[in-house]
Amino acid sequence: MHEKLKHEDVERAREDLQNRTLAKMPGDFARLIYLASTRDYNTGEYYHEGLAFQFGERAARKALASCHQDLFQRMIRCSMRELVEHLEVYARCTRLPCSDFIRTWDRLQPYRVTIPLDCSALAAQLFASNVRTALAILDFGQSRRPQNLQSASLRQ
Amino acid sequence: MLVASLLVLRRSARLRMDTQANWSEDALSLPPGEDALFLGLGSRIFAPEDYDFVARQTSRQFHRRFRAERTALALAWLDQVRGGVGGLIRAHLRAARGNPSLRPADEIKLGFEFLVFRLMIGLLYGAVWLRGPFAAARLVGSCVDLAEELKRMSVEGLPVAGSMAAEIMNGDSEAK
Repeated sequence: MHEKLKHEDVERAREDLQNRTLAKMPGDFARLIYLASTRDYNTGEYYHEGLAFQFGERAARKALASCHQDLFQRMIRCSMRELVEHLEVYARCTRLPCSDFIRTWDRLQPYRVTIPLDCSALAAQLFASNVRTALAILDFGQSRRPQNLQSASLRQ
Repeated sequence: MLVASLLVLRRSARLRMDTQANWSEDALSLPPGEDALFLGLGSRIFAPEDYDFVARQTSRQFHRRFRAERTALALAWLDQVRGGVGGLIRAHLRAARGNPSLRPADEIKLGFEFLVFRLMIGLLYGAVWLRGPFAAARLVGSCVDLAEELKRMSVEGLPVAGSMAAEIMNGDSEAK
């Protein structure tokens, strides 16, 4: 049995999701990963128990999908500088040493599962390339840091 | 100029085959219902500030890799824009055949703009191929404006073409 999907329900579900859940997350990368993780990787369908209970399963699914799509579009339009900042914020909130975080992300490439299902192949490739570049920039910054500290202490 | 553009197009196509050997075929499909975002991707792919930022923040070797990646993406984007606009014009021509409300002046203008667009795409291919995507950033803005203008003209000129154009932009090119 399909419940009737109302535009207002989807909008209310979206608002609820944004205000109660996404707003509390530290940065857009954390939000993107969270939204992607509400998806079933076999079917590509989104599911969120609380939202489904409050607004109905289809409205919740639609709200999650549209928030995911919007956020991904925003991320893909970010400049490299902004993307590096977003990634840095996310890396900090994992509380891992930055080098460990970079190594794991470089090897596992978890950012690939954050791409929405109906995104174009070109947009997906641009996103993956940008995240790889942002990781390289963070890595390069890490490797330069000890030298900078050293030269700073030498100046003193 | 036309001959030069055609030569550049042929050579760029060959280069594209080399640089994108590992790319899947569906990378050349237009995203369903997302042509606005898709055209917007161009400004990101060609953004010179990203190029400068990466040059300052990474090694020379990585910077070269970044430039090669962006070149491949830029050529794929140009391919899709060319294919998308070509599809629109084909849909427009199909709808225009035997249409009594056809306005010859508008059709000539559309034809001229399409020719300018093709030349611009040819120049962009050449510029990307020779100097990388970041050197061609200014021309991309004009190319996107022209693509949007062509879309508007082909859809507004003939109401019947509207739905066909939407079909082309949304799915037809995926079947290529």
